[in-house]
Amino acid sequence: MKESSNVPEDVKQRINWLLIFIIICFSFLVINLWYLQIIKGGEFKERAVENCIRSLVEDAPRGHIYDRQGEILVTNRPAVVISIIPAEVDNLEELSKRLGKIIGLSEDVIVQKVKKHTDNPFKPVQILDDCKKDIVIEIEEKKEELKGVILEVKPRRNYLYQELAAHCLGYVGEIDKEELQKLGNPKFQGGDIIGKAGLEKYYDDILRGEKGGKEVEVDALGREIATLLFQKPVPGKDLVLTIDKDLQIYGENLLYGKKGSIILSNPYTGEILALVNRPSFNPNLFAGGISYSDWERLSSDPEYPLTNRSIQSAYPPGSAFKIVTAIAALEEGITDRKRKVYCSGTFKLADQIFTCWKESGHGSLSIIDAIAHSCNIYFYTMGKELGIERFSKYMHKFGLEEKVGIDLPAEVLGIIPSTEWKQREFKQIWFPGDDINLSIGQGYLLLTPLQIHSIICAVTTEGEIYRLHLVKEIISPEGNVVKRIKPEISRKVSISANTFQIVKEGLRATILKGTGWRANSKELSIAGKTGTAQNPQGETHAWFAGFAPYENPEVCITVFVENGGEGGEIAAPIARAMLEKYFEVKM
Amino acid sequence: MKEKLGKLTENLDYTLLLAVVFLCFYGILVLYSSTRISSSSIPADPFLYVKRQSLWIVWGFIFLIIIIFIDYHKLERYSQLIYFVAIILLVMVIISGRSTYGARRWLSIGPFDFQPSEFAKIALIIFLADFLSKNKLKLDNFFYFLLPFAYTGILIFLVFKQPDLGTSLVYLVILIMMLFVVGAKIKYLMTVFLIALSSVPVLWFCLKEYQKRRLILFLNPNLDPLGGGYNIIQSKIAIGSGSFLGKGLFNGLQSQLNFLPAQHTDFIFSVVGEELGFVGAILLLGLYVIVLWRGIKIALEARDLLGTLLATGAVSFLFFHIVVNIGMAMGILPATGLPLPFLSYGGSFMISNLVVIGILLNVELHKVRW
Repeated sequence: MKESSNVPEDVKQRINWLLIFIIICFSFLVINLWYLQIIKGGEFKERAVENCIRSLVEDAPRGHIYDRQGEILVTNRPAVVISIIPAEVDNLEELSKRLGKIIGLSEDVIVQKVKKHTDNPFKPVQILDDCKKDIVIEIEEKKEELKGVILEVKPRRNYLYQELAAHCLGYVGEIDKEELQKLGNPKFQGGDIIGKAGLEKYYDDILRGEKGGKEVEVDALGREIATLLFQKPVPGKDLVLTIDKDLQIYGENLLYGKKGSIILSNPYTGEILALVNRPSFNPNLFAGGISYSDWERLSSDPEYPLTNRSIQSAYPPGSAFKIVTAIAALEEGITDRKRKVYCSGTFKLADQIFTCWKESGHGSLSIIDAIAHSCNIYFYTMGKELGIERFSKYMHKFGLEEKVGIDLPAEVLGIIPSTEWKQREFKQIWFPGDDINLSIGQGYLLLTPLQIHSIICAVTTEGEIYRLHLVKEIISPEGNVVKRIKPEISRKVSISANTFQIVKEGLRATILKGTGWRANSKELSIAGKTGTAQNPQGETHAWFAGFAPYENPEVCITVFVENGGEGGEIAAPIARAMLEKYFEVKM
Repeated sequence: MKEKLGKLTENLDYTLLLAVVFLCFYGILVLYSSTRISSSSIPADPFLYVKRQSLWIVWGFIFLIIIIFIDYHKLERYSQLIYFVAIILLVMVIISGRSTYGARRWLSIGPFDFQPSEFAKIALIIFLADFLSKNKLKLDNFFYFLLPFAYTGILIFLVFKQPDLGTSLVYLVILIMMLFVVGAKIKYLMTVFLIALSSVPVLWFCLKEYQKRRLILFLNPNLDPLGGGYNIIQSKIAIGSGSFLGKGLFNGLQSQLNFLPAQHTDFIFSVVGEELGFVGAILLLGLYVIVLWRGIKIALEARDLLGTLLATGAVSFLFFHIVVNIGMAMGILPATGLPLPFLSYGGSFMISNLVVIGILLNVELHKVRW
């Protein structure tokens, strides 16, 4: 039996072509399979896992912040966030239209927001943050027609006194990319709220607490199949500040409408009782993510309301710096209690003429009178005789080339000129005229108000600078004291007691008969030094640095008013008011 | 009869038969994996789908055996009748069919539901094989060349009405491949192709909204990742995440958690890709290659043109379904809703697959006169 094929040859030819076509198609399938499974396999594996593991985060409430009397300053309030879970939405356009009507957003805006997040359809997409009560109620009522919309309650930072102590307290915000990279996973994830400035940032680890949450396995309909992990959030710890709320309010009112700062602290503990900065801002604006327009307004304000002037800007200290010049001159034996210098109103150095602020001159003055009347000529003489090398020694003793140290982030350094510094910065030698300028706190010298404050603290305690701090206690959520911050000497300034005594007498004389007479108080013996610093920005800066009571000091104060005018006229009365308030509050 | 049975066992293409049996087992296994967990919250028999599918495989083999016993030359006499029956059934579907998902595709005869469009595929293969083998020489005439388009066009029109774009494409592909093999002028085929291409914009307006959407989403599934594009994206994730060895049977995250839609019907290949990996997918493709290769071999060695064309039609049918379905699961071809031969869940389709295999075996058996 033979095969008898009647199939024409041309047909067989065509079948072979068909075979080739089939082979090509199958090769194409295999190549694609290879690409999907072998080359991109790993990537898809991750996506498959992401698909079915849903992390539900429960934010930990941040710790509260209290003032030294236990009055609450910062707390949390519940904020209702409206989100959409894309996977649970049947018709996005329809839903957006309905939701938009209630919350007052256009349909397109909502659709766009949802469509931007295509990575994980089960992750809620935030539509409206911190919505009002009546909206919440309306959404609850219309729940059936709003399938896919969820309301989440999230703790939101609440600064009860708005602008009060804003620069100390700081603010919080969503972690940004750089911070995320620096601080790293798995501790932080995008969207986490962290401290961005002030105490919120410095004590972030203590305030933040630990996020809780659960990981659940879900099926395609988003139903939870199993809980893989569950962790309760651990609330953050509370801070008790050294700040006194009433003093702080009083100080902020004193500086209202001005630019500047007030630092009031206990020199024997380092506790800061008030740290006033003006102008200020409302940290609540940042709590739920600051709006673009608010940010624009704050960051481009020519008055720099976000800057903590007491630690983040350095200024010429002017005559307030004469304290250091006096100490250096006394210690080096250039002058003593008795030496007198005659002030004619001018001072000649080679062919340069330097003037005293009092054109007619002070006449013959001792060091105590020179401090009291802030006589430039006396200090020019001291500066000239001291020379920069010896001057530098005393600036170093006060630690001025370093940061003072305070429990706030972003403290800046001032500028402490020296021969090396001038060589480095200007490629110039140090001229005798530079000594003259430095002796009255002008020229290249720039100090932060906090540095001036550390100088006055050292004078008050006669040589000990206690670490300045804003936090007194750390308290657990259950109310137990976890840590009590103890006074700690951060620097010892080795200066003889005699020198301090003479300078202190000078500071007291300043109030009683000198430039600081406006700080003279009937009830209180105040001592201090005024300063009126010339600067290229315009009106002089007004300074006052002092302590009280003179006989038995309890507090130190530094007042700085940027472009405020005369120290004696502007800063001294503020210092007096602040100090009187302190003793009034104390009673 | 005894002699006939002897010849039959002697000449049967066991390679083809064995490949098909393996495919059926493979299909049952994957089907079990993808349906054992109910997608609704009501607990159901995990073997429900497997039991039904097995029953249909049995019915399919019964049809296959019956077909083997009928010399395909006898089909000549009935080819026109079969064609008319197909038309009548398709018309009945449009008039009184049972509809699912907005399309009327089912016809109930007694207790059985079946899809006449599946029967029509076989009817078309038989009818065209008969017509073309008789009129091979006349096809040089362009008018005669267009005639089979008219015959097929009627079926396409009726299926398109259901609407079922995928199946109407199957008819067209069967026709073109058979015309190509029978020796139609390439010039004519190109002409038809160009006319079809130029009428695409016109056809676009005939498409239902959901068909247009499918085509758009094929071009860019990320346009609507949770709507129409969802299937394609989830399917790609499933296949891709299978990697080389797969996650193991019953261990697919995507398939076991029902992220894949229609994972027991149109998207069953995604389950293969995810759970059995590249190795499992290649094994499956290998089995298909054996089937198609035997089919081509049968077409080449057939006793006459009728046999060749029957085999060609059978191969075209299976080939188009395999490539389009797998291509769709991998996101390289648009979602047309064509099931995967021997694997996708569905009675009518399973039976028509096995009937087509029966036709191939039949042609092979009768390549010699006995």
